[in-house]
Amino acid sequence: MSEKKTIETGDAGKGQTVISDNANTEELEERALSVFNSERNEDLTALVLCLATTFIVLLFTKWLV
Amino acid sequence: MSQIQKNMPVFFMSGVLLIYGLIANSGALLPMMKYLHTHKTMDMQVTMCLVIAGIGLAGALINSFKEQGTSTFDRFFLQPLGGIILLLLLAMFIRWYAEPMVKIWSKALAPSFGFEVYKVLNLNYVILGLLVGVIVTNTFGIPKFAAPGVKCARFVLKMGVIMLGARYSFAELAKLGIYSVWLIGIFVLGTVFLVLWLGKIFNQPKTMTGVLAAGMGVCGVSATVAVAPVVKAKSEEMAYTIGTILSFGIICMFIFPAVGKMAGMNPVQFGAWAGTGILNSAQVAAAALAFDAVDIKTLKVAEIFNITRVLFLPIIVLVLATWFGKESGQKLTFKSVVIDKFPIFILGFLLLFGLSSAGLFSPPQHYKGKFIDVSYNDRTQVTDDEWVILDGALKEGKITGLNEAQMAAVGDLHKQRQIAGNFNERDDKKAFDHTGRVRMTELESILAASKAKQITLDGDVKAVISHAVKQVHKSSKTVTVLTDCMIWFFAFGLIGLGMQITKKAIFQAGSWPLIIGGISGIAKATISFFVVLWLVKDVVLN
Repeated sequence: MSEKKTIETGDAGKGQTVISDNANTEELEERALSVFNSERNEDLTALVLCLATTFIVLLFTKWLV
Repeated sequence: MSQIQKNMPVFFMSGVLLIYGLIANSGALLPMMKYLHTHKTMDMQVTMCLVIAGIGLAGALINSFKEQGTSTFDRFFLQPLGGIILLLLLAMFIRWYAEPMVKIWSKALAPSFGFEVYKVLNLNYVILGLLVGVIVTNTFGIPKFAAPGVKCARFVLKMGVIMLGARYSFAELAKLGIYSVWLIGIFVLGTVFLVLWLGKIFNQPKTMTGVLAAGMGVCGVSATVAVAPVVKAKSEEMAYTIGTILSFGIICMFIFPAVGKMAGMNPVQFGAWAGTGILNSAQVAAAALAFDAVDIKTLKVAEIFNITRVLFLPIIVLVLATWFGKESGQKLTFKSVVIDKFPIFILGFLLLFGLSSAGLFSPPQHYKGKFIDVSYNDRTQVTDDEWVILDGALKEGKITGLNEAQMAAVGDLHKQRQIAGNFNERDDKKAFDHTGRVRMTELESILAASKAKQITLDGDVKAVISHAVKQVHKSSKTVTVLTDCMIWFFAFGLIGLGMQITKKAIFQAGSWPLIIGGISGIAKATISFFVVLWLVKDVVLN
């Protein structure tokens, strides 16, 4: 069983948490600031939502008027 | 019962929004909105408040009676709902109340200070959002119910960057000519490398250096947000970069016009210099107007130079992704940089830029959704009363002091009742458009000369010309709404970003970013000053 260590997760992460000593802390810190599992998912979701917004805006400001 | 208690804040915030929406809908807030100049947004205020209140109440009800799960619906809607509503509430407060109030107070205090505080300190929703976030986190702390929602901030900021693409068009870039594009590209890349080098010399973290390089090289807030995920920058590093860029811009806003005048720059040269040396677009416009409020060429050139930098954003993302990868000791191939490291949301920015350039949102030659239409159209004519005023003024010889071209443009406005090309050229769209634009420019120069008191123009005639000019300036509703979406995304994201910045983090960053930003900014301003004086002549626009 690997060693454990305590890291500061900031206000958004509500204090401290215990993780494995050999964990990738940079990656954990990164994910602690996002609701997504990976950068790729975050970007793809942002893109899809933006395209949906653009489509709706076009519908109501150009195509249906 | 405890589940309901846990969701009380969401019930409360949704209730506030619902009540506000209903009161706004009744028209009771109209006098206050008129005072704040936000009355045009009344319908939007009502719709947004009611929709968000509905979603909030529904979400809080579900949360009250449902056990917390790990489904997608739980993770992306039910859990972050409280934080999302809190950030939206703060964003609404900033956009509809704080920002207009700051503007009103600044204008009221302008006679005492001699300048408008909000313009000089750039106190718009960007800075106010960040400040509110930082204040909340460092006083009350992030409320427990809002913590998961605050984590959505960076994701929403990315949506703002994607939307940014809709505002620009390739036609603007083409207007500049390849020579000026090279000039801008060299300065953008030069500044990026200078900041990276300074960061290394001063031994700064590569995350901070990377994000500062993008901010100083390209265009401030959007570039900072776009590059931050690539170089894994922390929230406080992004905030520091934004702060550095804006502080540097404030100094430039005062120094640039004075130096430009002392050096005897012409309007085009100053426009090119300000557009290259100053980063924030609002500050570029302020400096251009301070240099020359009469010749609109200064402002136009400055703005085009400024926005062209934004289009270098994808290239800078690639450069910094490669640099960051190498600094982190990774072996990078072309594929790993261009395909694996290239952020998908920047592709989204390029996609919307492509659609915008193709004319999907507005005619392709638009600039931030605004375009000039000099085609024949009944709706762009001056009114009958206005035509009578113009007719009378011409017959009585009241319009004096104009040069030949200006007089011809007034004569044509009288003849055609609108600004347009020549009827016999109507089949040659290019020539027709060119003639119409020349006439519009001449009429605009009459208004500018009158404003500068170089000529005396009858008030009624001035109003007619002004109306005719306004008639051909059109704006795309689609781009306006998409821009509004972008502003909301940025406002939401920046408040959340501010909430992730603690006092400790600010003190840890120290003053080095300001020093590096200052050195690179001064170097860029000085070099571009000489380059512009040496290379840029009168005509830079095709």
